[in-house]
Amino acid sequence: MRAMYLANYFVAGCIAFSLLGWVASLHPITFRAVLCLLAAIAIAWCLSWLLDFSLSKLLKISVADLQALLISGLGMVLIGLGVFLCT
Amino acid sequence: MHLKLFVLSASSVVLWITPLAALDKTLDIHKALQGAGLTAAIACAVTAGNIAREQAEQNEIEEIKSRAITADVVDEIATSAYISQQQRQQEAEQILGSSERTDEKEAELDSIRESLELLLNQTSSDSGELAVVNLSARQQEQIELILQCYAKGITGKNKILKEVWGVSAGSSQSYRDAKAEYEFLLPFVKGESDEQ
Repeated sequence: MRAMYLANYFVAGCIAFSLLGWVASLHPITFRAVLCLLAAIAIAWCLSWLLDFSLSKLLKISVADLQALLISGLGMVLIGLGVFLCT
Repeated sequence: MHLKLFVLSASSVVLWITPLAALDKTLDIHKALQGAGLTAAIACAVTAGNIAREQAEQNEIEEIKSRAITADVVDEIATSAYISQQQRQQEAEQILGSSERTDEKEAELDSIRESLELLLNQTSSDSGELAVVNLSARQQEQIELILQCYAKGITGKNKILKEVWGVSAGSSQSYRDAKAEYEFLLPFVKGESDEQ
């Protein structure tokens, strides 16, 4: 059941990034805005990898959990945008 | 609850993929349909995730309860085993204590019987009846020794007490006991000497 709820949240994240792609496809301005948002997310993701120990102390979770979250976030972005772009 | 969970999970995936892949792009409202479908898909996925999380938490609580019940049962069994062992030990101690008390009572009864025999001897000697019958072997032996002293010519009380009982004249308790016993045996000694 734990795997089920993790999978559902993962799917929700994927759909959220598909929705972001859909928003980007509505207008050139939203496209740029989404690009800026994705760039900010990428920078935050890289910084989180670099500062994983400090961030894990700040969030009061283990480093392994933080890394799992970062990897699953990357997977959500790739799958969500991949599904949107490929269809 | 499981059915709802699976239906929501499946519908979220369907609402995610279908508007993007299968919708006719020539339609004017396909963008709006895609947005609505994706929003609905997110809602379904999040709801399914919440339901699954509640179920997982309930399962964890049930597991904790079952572990606690198992630990409680184990503790109960261990406690009852310990108590029964303590009871057995106490019963054994009681049995041992009662046997010791029985031995003490037997010893007390023996001492009372000896006292009664001595009293009976004294009473019989005072009345002059049943005297020899109730004398103990030690007393008869002492009578023999007294007679031997008489035969040797030792007639003084203190000398006889010294020879037979090994006590010197004085005020000690052993001397007084020996003297009382000598006076008690004296009639029998006379009776014996008369018979000889």
